[in-house]
Amino acid sequence: MMLGSRYLSTVFTLAEFELGKLKHDFSEIAIRGVQPALWLLVFGETFANLRPVPTGAFSYIQFLTPGVLVQSVMFVAIFYGIMLVWERDLGLLNKLLSTPAPRSAIVLGKAFSAGIRSIFQAIVVLALALFIHVPLHVGALEVLAVVAVIVLAGMCFSSLSMSLVPVFRTRERMMGIGQAITMPLFFTSNAIYPISIMPPWLRVIATFNPLSYVVDAMRALLVTGDFQTLPLDIGVMLSATAIFASIAALFFRRILD
Amino acid sequence: MKAIEVQNLSKTYSDLKAVDEISFSVDEGEIFGLLGPNGAGKTTMIRMMLTLIKPTSGSIKVFGIDSAKFPESVRQISGYIPQEVSVDGDLTGYENLLMYARLYHISKEERNRRIREALKYMELAGRENNLTRIYSGGMMRRLEIAQALVNKPKVLFLDEPSIGLDPSAKSTVWKYITDLREEFGTTIIMTTHDMQEADTLCDEIAIMNRGKIVVSGSPEELKAKVGGDIISLETRSGDCSTLLQGQGKILSAKQDLGLYELVVAEGEKALPMIFNRLRERGIQVESVSLKKSTLDDVFLAYAGVRMEEGGTWQEARRLRRTYKRLG
Repeated sequence: MMLGSRYLSTVFTLAEFELGKLKHDFSEIAIRGVQPALWLLVFGETFANLRPVPTGAFSYIQFLTPGVLVQSVMFVAIFYGIMLVWERDLGLLNKLLSTPAPRSAIVLGKAFSAGIRSIFQAIVVLALALFIHVPLHVGALEVLAVVAVIVLAGMCFSSLSMSLVPVFRTRERMMGIGQAITMPLFFTSNAIYPISIMPPWLRVIATFNPLSYVVDAMRALLVTGDFQTLPLDIGVMLSATAIFASIAALFFRRILD
Repeated sequence: MKAIEVQNLSKTYSDLKAVDEISFSVDEGEIFGLLGPNGAGKTTMIRMMLTLIKPTSGSIKVFGIDSAKFPESVRQISGYIPQEVSVDGDLTGYENLLMYARLYHISKEERNRRIREALKYMELAGRENNLTRIYSGGMMRRLEIAQALVNKPKVLFLDEPSIGLDPSAKSTVWKYITDLREEFGTTIIMTTHDMQEADTLCDEIAIMNRGKIVVSGSPEELKAKVGGDIISLETRSGDCSTLLQGQGKILSAKQDLGLYELVVAEGEKALPMIFNRLRERGIQVESVSLKKSTLDDVFLAYAGVRMEEGGTWQEARRLRRTYKRLG
């Protein structure tokens, strides 16, 4: 019992101070809003005029908005590991690992803060979408659920990133691997086109891509209102996060070696 | 009970034995120094004792706790001040202290009191709400020591505590380290490549070179062991190493340059005798110097090289980076 509460207190302490840093420097969130804005305004508007993608009862821009939202969260979270490398090089990680905090609590604390950070990111995209009059469901319940999905997605992809640090180790390589996996993750998911129009081999990949499930959940909440696959989506996100975080915690000590 | 007991400890990286079968023990309340050049394995030793890296073989006990079995219990009673700056520049001084106090699970009332005291004691009161990235190198070190005060560790590990600090900041840090021991009885394990630092602070010293402890003892014992004073000679014409052998222990001989260093019990008396012998053989002395013994000489005598000669370019690079950040 006491162990459990200590564990949680460690996770929340780390997350709280990570987030505390944001209040000293808020500009990074604004800068990170640029890329999703381009996707939505330039890519989305143009593609909507072409009408090449069958999106059923919904307009293409409606279809695209949840995809861009999730993409913006993923693109930031996937580089989270670089911060770990940076902290190791500064000596901060050594110090953190010398505290009684269990490795898994450190990973979870950092993942949780990455998840919370993602909310700010998502607010920028959502505000932009509403500004250009994309019809979305934004009732109190939907928004709450959307926030939960975003936090989970941020945790999932930042854990993936942290699990790669023990292998890739340097900032340059983490940059490289981050770039090498974001685009494939993005294009083999249902973020900008539905799985139904993909060639069969790509469909197989898309079903193994955790990003597809995040987008699916987001689309259900914001656009379609069809919650049939929501439990599956959440289940996949939770298990993916658990797997990535466990790998990261297991090999955490190798980051220092 | 011993504060630290290390037995046959080794750490091997693919082809390098960073730490090679080391054993030693440290008494409670002692300031114990691991002295050696860069790359001797000191930092690896500290990180193994702190359970940050896993030993390849051997055992470590910290206040009787087996660090392989209960790493979290060892970390709960340990404090660590790494060589690199370990305060988070994106947090304020107060936030840095608060975060670590919470990670050590110190109760709310207790930690508020201890943080206030530590800030005052380390002369950081009034600056605690500034981001630490604007702190000077000396202030950052003081904040790190303040962290140790808040957590009240039974054993504190210091990796090169005064590296990159200017002389006055250095002596301030030394004062706080000795005070920490006087007031709280904290056992302190430190690494250093600074002979003067080891001489000033440490009760016991283990001199390391290439992953091994080459000699250990109190600074006085060690200096006595080298047998006293050092004579450096610069001569012209001919090899005089055989001739000098009879006069004392030769530390280094560079025949081609005519440079010799030897240890003698009493330099003042040995010098005239050496001069006489050399003159008899027709060897001319260009210059001579006499030096009373220091720990650097102890190192030279046991490790066969001077301290400054060790180390790799990576170590040097890291060292410089630390200097830059502290400067």
